[in-house]
Amino acid sequence: MAEVEGSTAKSEGLASCHTCLKLVPEDTHTCPRCGSAVHQRETDSLQRCVALLITACILYIPANVLPIMYTDQLGKTEASTIIGGVVLLIKLGSIPIAAIIFIASVMVPSGKLIAMFYLVWSVKSHSQLSPQQRTVMYQVTEFIGKWSMVDVFVVAILVALVHLGGLLVIRPGFAALAFAGVVIVTMIAAEIFDSRLIWDQLEDNNDNSAT
Amino acid sequence: MQGTIACHACDLLVDVSELKTGQRASCPRCGHSLTRIRKDAHSKVLAYSVAALIALVTANAFPFLSFASSGLESVMTLPQTPAMLWGNGLPMVAILVAAFIIYIPATVLVLLILLCMPLRGERWRPWLKPVGRWVFTLQSWSMVEVFIIGVIVSLVKIMKMATVTMGLSFWGYVFFAILFTMAIAALDKYQMWQEIEALEEQRG
Repeated sequence: MAEVEGSTAKSEGLASCHTCLKLVPEDTHTCPRCGSAVHQRETDSLQRCVALLITACILYIPANVLPIMYTDQLGKTEASTIIGGVVLLIKLGSIPIAAIIFIASVMVPSGKLIAMFYLVWSVKSHSQLSPQQRTVMYQVTEFIGKWSMVDVFVVAILVALVHLGGLLVIRPGFAALAFAGVVIVTMIAAEIFDSRLIWDQLEDNNDNSAT
Repeated sequence: MQGTIACHACDLLVDVSELKTGQRASCPRCGHSLTRIRKDAHSKVLAYSVAALIALVTANAFPFLSFASSGLESVMTLPQTPAMLWGNGLPMVAILVAAFIIYIPATVLVLLILLCMPLRGERWRPWLKPVGRWVFTLQSWSMVEVFIIGVIVSLVKIMKMATVTMGLSFWGYVFFAILFTMAIAALDKYQMWQEIEALEEQRG
């Protein structure tokens, strides 16, 4: 597993196929092995990523303001938002579950948005964090993305399970759609962000100091 | 550039031609995992995929959870989960939930079987390339393990309101989730494409 003189595919004039990992000359458009489109770097990665992040921020507002769930109990209707659900769980004494929902529905989506904005910014500026640290940050962000869907699934399960005529019925709220939107849009943003751009900076700096 | 991988995370070129069965390679610069050559990978993926599909059918066929309070009872099945969202005016969320927890994972399993049967028998099939392209993309959109956590959270939320009973399908889905994760974990992208390429060369 020897390193090939510490060079990258880009510096050798090569591109790696995103789908099948084959190395091809950088001017190749279609991978000869699997037939996918080949790009040395994701096209307009940063612009597309920022556009999706802004979309996610906008969707994040209705996701938190509107009710995610309605509980009809004996003729009374109670609406609950994401934060309201967490507060209710704390009151009921289910601290671990309140923590799971708080982490999955509040900390992960907002933390992910902040982390992605930071990563995009860091590609264009001087970051305090090393490329190694930022790569880990990106990989964590990418990995935890789908876990935010927990709250949407909880709503889906409760709606399907709890319908006892006039006694107790749970209905979904519009925030479920907005929140699912936030999760999906940020997942796509993370996929579009090209982490190799973080390392390209390193090579550009080396080139500058060499000349 | 046979036997070399450009790290997907940082683009460093790494020579993996010396890698032996059972060994894994990760990027020396950023630590990103590159490939792992497994023994009998295809037989394992095939076995897990077939078992996972059977478990998924079970998970769809019986009651998943039941909820009883004051003499009234409601039973939920897995396909009902998205169906009830649809009925409550959220068709988009219903489609997404159905896709993430049932249809995408099911499609991935079928694709894995279509892929590993010919690879195991070392026979070229015209669908190998398109299936190979799709399987990894789709796989990143399955949320099987997230749904399991969702079920656990739901249980805790309503445990105090009423008696909740887990049905046969609940256990079916838990088995399905475990087998699905094992099938995905046993498949290596780099190795798979090397083999597809070799089969294509043999043919022509």
